Amino acid sequence: MFSRLGYTFRETYASFRRNVTLTVAAIITAAVSLLIFGLTLLIQRGFDNLLQRWEGGVEMIVFVNAGTQPDGLQFISDALQEQVNSGTVQSFEYCDVACSLADADVVLAGDPTTRDLLDETNIPTLFKVVPSESTDVTFLRGLKEAYQTLPSVHSVTLAEDQLDLISKLQGFVSTYTTGLWIALMAASGLLIWNTIRTAMFARRREIEVMKLVGATDWFIRIPFMLEGLIQGVLGAFAAIGAMLFINWRWTEGVKDFPDSSGMTALVVVDGYQWWVALIILVFGALVGMIGSGIAASRFLDV
Amino acid sequence: MIRLENVTKSYSAEVTALRDVSFDVAKGEFVFLVGPSGSGKSTLLRLLNRQERPERGAVWVAGRNIIDMPPSRVPHLRRNIGNIFQDYKLLSNKTVFENVAFAQEVIGRPKHVIRQQVPAVLDLVGLAGKEDRFPHQLSGGEQQRVSIARAFVNRPLILIADEPTGNLDPGTGEGIMRLLDRINKTGTTIAMATHDQRIVNTMRKRVIQLDRGVVVRDQARGVYQ
Repeated sequence: MFSRLGYTFRETYASFRRNVTLTVAAIITAAVSLLIFGLTLLIQRGFDNLLQRWEGGVEMIVFVNAGTQPDGLQFISDALQEQVNSGTVQSFEYCDVACSLADADVVLAGDPTTRDLLDETNIPTLFKVVPSESTDVTFLRGLKEAYQTLPSVHSVTLAEDQLDLISKLQGFVSTYTTGLWIALMAASGLLIWNTIRTAMFARRREIEVMKLVGATDWFIRIPFMLEGLIQGVLGAFAAIGAMLFINWRWTEGVKDFPDSSGMTALVVVDGYQWWVALIILVFGALVGMIGSGIAASRFLDV
Repeated sequence: MIRLENVTKSYSAEVTALRDVSFDVAKGEFVFLVGPSGSGKSTLLRLLNRQERPERGAVWVAGRNIIDMPPSRVPHLRRNIGNIFQDYKLLSNKTVFENVAFAQEVIGRPKHVIRQQVPAVLDLVGLAGKEDRFPHQLSGGEQQRVSIARAFVNRPLILIADEPTGNLDPGTGEGIMRLLDRINKTGTTIAMATHDQRIVNTMRKRVIQLDRGVVVRDQARGVYQ
């Protein structure tokens, strides 16, 4: 058992040394593709954070002045209910102090200084409104103007003001980064496959002897699979390091954005990046192991 | 130990390597396979360790028809068969000791067994004291002895040798044959393909002659002709 393990590690190490250039190329390609994969997930998550308050068809948010008394809130609620009854508004939902603070955690994730200024006493609560007709811009702007005149209303924001641009940006970035990481991942898998094929070709005589003296295919295959696995894992670690660094730099950079930019939620600071790191590690290991396993099986008869 | 029953092996519609070949080899026997190039000697040896499979017939090795053997069992079959080649097939980056130990390592023999058995077999083939040399530091005859040591270290039931003296001068070839004869006397069955008339005539072992894939002569204590 231990002699086999020793053999496996020795052979893997020897193979690494024999194929340094190809191995480094495979690791770098794996790292770049996994990095783009990780960044794609983080970007999508950032956009999701940015758009979270607009989920469920919400087209309009009515911000209420901080400290508004219950009768003030009831007045706005009654006005909205009238719109529901008349068919102008499909539904609405009140987001109280706790809900608004949670919302601010996401929206101001990239601007902790501003977030820290908000508490139960000064945060504006809000009503999320789903209008009946969400595609008619003139209609929506009319509604906005009507709600702005209500007492205790601080401001009204239309989804159209932010959503359209962000959605387009999200679609564009997601499509191209996804396409890019899939292509690079395939390149990385093929490069690992080629490294293993070259390693096996260099050792064809050894493999022939191994087979003739009775080594099983798995015994021959495992050092090559381990080599591919290590390449994938090293690539993954490099990608994780780079991704965390880029994410940190971006988060720091977003703090300097003006609040009015509407981009302060385009960050990932909720621990999601560690899940992405884990996914990258598993993905890198799998691509390395499967790519090399297929190559090892394919070229076992060298 | 070995039985071929009506074995036919073709490489293509035009090339038939063996036609309806049948013979038995008893345990501990030494058999020369002779015949011109392309007569089917090497193909026949390759059938014995399942490097090739015939279109028709049966190949029995140590009581098992290896034609129907599942691929997962083939490594176990090969552990009972030692292979010796004309070009030695030694691993140039490994020392004499490592080349021989390799045959034990890949089938999972423990280190202490390897440390015990490799020197013993190197002593048997006359290479004691040369454990740390690399193949390029050895003569052709010595390299073939390493190859024999590697083939024999796991004490196989059968040794198959494909022209083991083909690259050696007559004197060295004789030394190799004396070594194979010693191994044969331990009870190991040996099947050896050769073109070396002098060796066959000197050894006077069983001779199976092939011509265009057909057995044309099977003679006990035969000569080359």
